[in-house]
Amino acid sequence: MAVHARRPDTQFQLLEAHQIPKSLVSPQVVESGQCEALRNLRASLEASIAAKLTSGSELVRAVARQRREEILPTTIEPLDALLGGGLARGKMTELAGRGTRFSIVMATLAAATSIGEAAALIDAGDSFDPQLAESAGVDLQRLLWVRPRTMKQTVTAAEMIGATGFQLVIIDIGSRRPPGRRVPDATWVRLARVAESHGATILVSAPYALTGTTSEAMVLAHAPRPRWLGRGNSPRVLAGIETRLKLEKHRRLRPGQSATMFFRCEEAVTGDRSAGRIVSRVLSDTRLPASDTRKAS
Amino acid sequence: MTRLACFYVPMFVLAARLRSEPDLLNEAVGIVEGNGNNAHIVAATRRARKKGIQPGLSLAQARTLLPKLIARGRDSECERTAQEALLEVAETFSPRVEDAGEGVVFLDVTGMERHFADDDESGNGQPTTDNPSPELRLARAALRACDAISLPARVGIAGSKLAARVAAELPKSPTVVAPGEEATFLAPLPLTRLSPELEAAAMLHRFGLSSIGDLARLPESEIASRLGEVGRELHWAARGIDPRPLMPRPLPPEFREGMELEWPLVALEPFLFIANAALDRLSKRMEIQGFACKRLEFTLTLDPDGYDARGIDLPAPTRDVKTMLTLMRLDLEKTPPGAPVAGFSFVAHPDRPRRAQLSLFGPSAVSPEKLASTIAKLISILGDGRVGMPMTVDGHLPERYAINVFSPPPPPDVRRTPARARGLLAVRTFRPPIPIEVTTREAAGDDVQIATIRSLAEVVSDSRPPAPDSRPRVEAGSKVEIAGTVRICSGPWQVEEGWWSDRPDIREYWDVELERGGVYRVFRGGAAEWFVDARYEM
Repeated sequence: MAVHARRPDTQFQLLEAHQIPKSLVSPQVVESGQCEALRNLRASLEASIAAKLTSGSELVRAVARQRREEILPTTIEPLDALLGGGLARGKMTELAGRGTRFSIVMATLAAATSIGEAAALIDAGDSFDPQLAESAGVDLQRLLWVRPRTMKQTVTAAEMIGATGFQLVIIDIGSRRPPGRRVPDATWVRLARVAESHGATILVSAPYALTGTTSEAMVLAHAPRPRWLGRGNSPRVLAGIETRLKLEKHRRLRPGQSATMFFRCEEAVTGDRSAGRIVSRVLSDTRLPASDTRKAS
Repeated sequence: MTRLACFYVPMFVLAARLRSEPDLLNEAVGIVEGNGNNAHIVAATRRARKKGIQPGLSLAQARTLLPKLIARGRDSECERTAQEALLEVAETFSPRVEDAGEGVVFLDVTGMERHFADDDESGNGQPTTDNPSPELRLARAALRACDAISLPARVGIAGSKLAARVAAELPKSPTVVAPGEEATFLAPLPLTRLSPELEAAAMLHRFGLSSIGDLARLPESEIASRLGEVGRELHWAARGIDPRPLMPRPLPPEFREGMELEWPLVALEPFLFIANAALDRLSKRMEIQGFACKRLEFTLTLDPDGYDARGIDLPAPTRDVKTMLTLMRLDLEKTPPGAPVAGFSFVAHPDRPRRAQLSLFGPSAVSPEKLASTIAKLISILGDGRVGMPMTVDGHLPERYAINVFSPPPPPDVRRTPARARGLLAVRTFRPPIPIEVTTREAAGDDVQIATIRSLAEVVSDSRPPAPDSRPRVEAGSKVEIAGTVRICSGPWQVEEGWWSDRPDIREYWDVELERGGVYRVFRGGAAEWFVDARYEM
């Protein structure tokens, strides 16, 4: 930033005119990123060559800007559209609500690991299924699975992993809050700083808002609606679950936008491709048999 | 021609102790051997020697001369680890190293001097004024390496072990004896240099022989006829002939550090303060050999008697002292030794550290050292089996899983674009499956069935008996809140595993949606018991 000093003639008003000291070289006003040597060099070159000339400081600023603006796409188009392309790197993003959060977590893990990035899932609900993740496209070799028992262990693990150099750290709280005392707000501030200083993308998936003002963006997943194939007494198959996403907060985008997403069941989509897991399907009888001990008429 | 080097640590007992307690370096310290009235000084620091403290004085006499003398007993653990450290330094200069006892190490440096032909001796890039020979450069590098492990060693290089030992014992170190000049080098030295403890030296002195050269000039047969086999060996030694070959030692399978404490410690922090220094020494020794620690075992000597032996398995080889100290702290906090600690011994099992090639254009890789430290800390906090790489397991049951050591492959060389998501619905798995009760009743004819489910865990937590016609209730604070009337169900999907065994696992899976919300995956096992094993997230 250029700093303008007061000229000597205004500083020494009490002196005589002939005693006013004058500097031999007039002070230069250096503009940010545009030093005189660089300007002269560019002026002396042809326009086509000068356009390709980049100084070191300009390159550093460009790399820093690119890093700030770099995003990790979740590869879920409606969500990426809401977030302006995906999850911001070096920032913390929160996904709250009762919608299909875990499906979004899986898709994000698949997106990060499929491009060779190291990802960590801090699974506070202990509900991760490796088979399902593999079928969703997650490269399990690049995934660190952490299963904490308490909320304190959850945030401690996130801080440690974020500072290690993982590109993606996901905290999934599950359906209920883990046992233990409430985590102080300063913890989330610290976690956001870890993300910023190490360039990690942190996604916090919780049934309710946790991170407060420390997150870059917050998306609310709500109004989940299951979709069934078949009607009435005919055999039913769960086709998937529809969820509404609403951008509650974003530091760079206008909040309030919403989108609808539909996640499909693998069985309903792929048919018999999952025959290795499910030996046979019998959908002719949709009545539930009762427990032998409490059967009522 | 064979060239041998000798590393010699004068007053090794004292040097080993000062290596473990560097704060005493400038103090008046005496190393004491024996107990009670038999306690006598075996070595003393320069400051103590200036006050008249000499080896052989009893502790009472020494205290009379210098009341503020700091007396330390001989510590076999310190001496053993110092000797190991000296051997490890020697192994960085030659693969053939012989352990010759307290503070003495021989090594075969034949041809090794070529590695030091252009060595920068000053270490700071400044050119040196003299032009030393490559062997002298090697010897100076060895001195610097010994200084790095806090051992004030002297170095001598010669063609035989005896000449190298005598050269190393000279006060001006390093000393290099030119090839074939061993006899010339030894000739002016006093006879006591050959073997100071030998009684024959006194007899030779009575013969009028004062220097090694005087002895070498006498006929060998005449000396042998008067002194026997000892005289013959002494005559050979005087001529620089040492028939004893170098006997290399095998590489140690582990690294050890330890210390006997002056007084038992009852608090954790003082112990960790001492352990930090010991681990630091251990780490430096492993670094010299290019190793990292994959398992750390430590044995605590308890007061008044007994031992407490523990072991920490590190998920990946590491040399990070902070990590090892943190793991040790967590282990001791979890299960305290239960008695004051009077000494300790650390054993590090070495392994090759992980290496990773970083990419210029692809995603950045996680540093193996940092990853190993982080995973080790996480395992110590969370416990075994809760941190690692998830793995699939062959089988048909959905809840199967395995967890392995996290060792990610290197990232790709170029950055790729992620593929579009498949949009699959994920389920939250319950581990273990939650037992439930399913009740059905017919209503409005035989074609309509109303089913209700509720978790048995909720029934167990309820102290009051449920009313027969009431809806299942969910207790506040209950761990499991699965209860309600089934709105839609889909199934059964049969899963069978182990049909060839006596107890096959046959299950019928259903997807059920409850009226109050929530879609669950339930199954009925072989004993007609119902369980919920997953929840479709809503």
